[in-house]
Amino acid sequence: MLLKIAWRNIWRSKLRSFVVIGSIAIGVWSLVFLLSFSRGMIMTYIEKAIENQTSHIQVHNPDFINADVEANELEKAPYNFIQDVTKVKEVLASDPKVEAFAMRSYAHQTFVGVAGKTGVANVYGINPIQEKAVTNIHSLVIEGDYFEKDKKNQILISASQAEKYNIGLRKKVVLSFTDKNGNPTKVAFRVCGIYDTKNQLQDQFNVYVRQKDLNRVLGLGEESHEIAVLVNDVDGVDGIQENLSALLPSQLVRVYDQISPEIELFNVQIQLSTFIFTFIFMLGLIFGIINTMLMAVLERMRELGMLMAIGMNKAKVFKMITLETLLLGLISAPIGMLIGTLSVGYFKRVGLDLSNFSKGMQKFGMSEIVYPESSGDMYITFGIAVLITAILGSLYPAFKAISLRPVEAIRKI
Amino acid sequence: MSIISVKNIHKIYNEKTVPVHALQGVDLEIEVGEFTAIVGPSGSGKTTLLNIIGGLDRPNQGKVRLADTGLEDLNDNQLIDFRKNNIGFIFQAYNLIPVLTAQENVEFVMLLQNRPKDEMEKRAVDLLKSVGLEDKLNQRPSQLSGGQQQRVAVARALASKPKFVLADEPTANLDSKSTADLLDIMARLNKEENITFVFSTHDSRVIERARRVVNMIDGKIESDEQQAV
Repeated sequence: MLLKIAWRNIWRSKLRSFVVIGSIAIGVWSLVFLLSFSRGMIMTYIEKAIENQTSHIQVHNPDFINADVEANELEKAPYNFIQDVTKVKEVLASDPKVEAFAMRSYAHQTFVGVAGKTGVANVYGINPIQEKAVTNIHSLVIEGDYFEKDKKNQILISASQAEKYNIGLRKKVVLSFTDKNGNPTKVAFRVCGIYDTKNQLQDQFNVYVRQKDLNRVLGLGEESHEIAVLVNDVDGVDGIQENLSALLPSQLVRVYDQISPEIELFNVQIQLSTFIFTFIFMLGLIFGIINTMLMAVLERMRELGMLMAIGMNKAKVFKMITLETLLLGLISAPIGMLIGTLSVGYFKRVGLDLSNFSKGMQKFGMSEIVYPESSGDMYITFGIAVLITAILGSLYPAFKAISLRPVEAIRKI
Repeated sequence: MSIISVKNIHKIYNEKTVPVHALQGVDLEIEVGEFTAIVGPSGSGKTTLLNIIGGLDRPNQGKVRLADTGLEDLNDNQLIDFRKNNIGFIFQAYNLIPVLTAQENVEFVMLLQNRPKDEMEKRAVDLLKSVGLEDKLNQRPSQLSGGQQQRVAVARALASKPKFVLADEPTANLDSKSTADLLDIMARLNKEENITFVFSTHDSRVIERARRVVNMIDGKIESDEQQAV
């Protein structure tokens, strides 16, 4: 009966209840959409990072990444190549969850010289065919080709590097290395293609050459520094990592968010912004609820006085007011979530075109079309937040109600 | 046997600012089965006395014993429980729960007493029949006339099987016909079921029907007379 009274009380002032329900629903909807939007933006970034460069899993010699983890400082040295590479290849080839893998060599912070201009680059020595199966850098070539001609010392540079050094196809780029014996050596490469990942952070440093060319320069044979692995199902990537780590105890096997610290940073950012937005939403909502419920209590003082006079104890009066507020939340939160789900679903299908604002975003590898992405956790968080807010918002009006003295309340007009 | 015993009651409002002595040493005994009207002009203290008898207000001085229970010994929560199980209230402005039907309003008091559902339903229907509202069980207060609402209030007051019923100016908002009907119902319940009724009123139509009239002036009992009806 208490629930029945609470439910019917909500509809005594329909307009007021609709205003509260509407404002909670709009708040929940905007939270769902806003956070799905930022989540979508970051997920797109992560997907692009995986597709363009990182892949799902990477295998290294543990010494290759001589990391001061606290400072995220990764020192990579050419002589720390993967030991027992044949065994690693066998393990990867025999794992059905592994879609493809590509061997890479790597030269970190290499000096670049082009017609009097100098700079620094990270040089990836790749096997073009293997790499094609793992990343999509081949599809991002906007000029020239992707190592199609079997010529020695070809280099794939980015559009931003081409602009920076003011060079084009077939121009010469001189790279300065230190070989595995510590000797400095300079080698000229010729530009075969220009790529553009739209991620300026990545594009300003990364250049690609054939692995056999880089290995020759570094004084290596068939060795590799890095194996990039693409898996069938990204959701199972942690399990695959564990499995590979167990099979290859002497190698360092890491998944994409361990490889790229900014991905972890973005994940933290999602959690933090969810918390901050939810907190601000709750703060705004709580005052709205207090205002509404206080009005409801003050309007019904005589009735509340009568209820206490005929024997309704304070606990029940308190419960009734709290129930009314909770019911408002229970009606409005699902409405907000439903509108949120529908709008997120729509924009997930058609995408949200931000090309007018995307120049700055592209510098950081963000896509110009964002596909909002919601998550179950998000809905649970907002549902709980609305209920907690409703309970907190009902406390003051409920205390106000039970502090009424029946004899005085009954006489109120 | 006294069901209500009030001894030397004093009630002072605004004690610290401008004291108003609403009751000044009132003594009153009411027996089981009485049909008593407390009468007097506005400000004579009749409603204050009724509130104190009903445990809605506490006196500054004096003792109130209801059915062998001293109200001064009860804390606020015990007092609410005592009211729930021992006193039926009828208010001037009906004060029904607007979102509940007539039947639900009557059942509500029994719900507070945790009575079984079947018993609640049966008693609510029986009581509404006895006040002539068997065809209005599912009507909400806003769909009933003032007289009908007050009859629902009578049924509600009796629902908890109280030891006595207090009615604060129950006919103040009613027309002559509704007043007569209501008084007939209460007089019948008093006579047939020996239910004790205590009214505060200055309505001559009610005073005429009371078997005992307690007249108050300036917070004191001026006269206390039995009358033939």
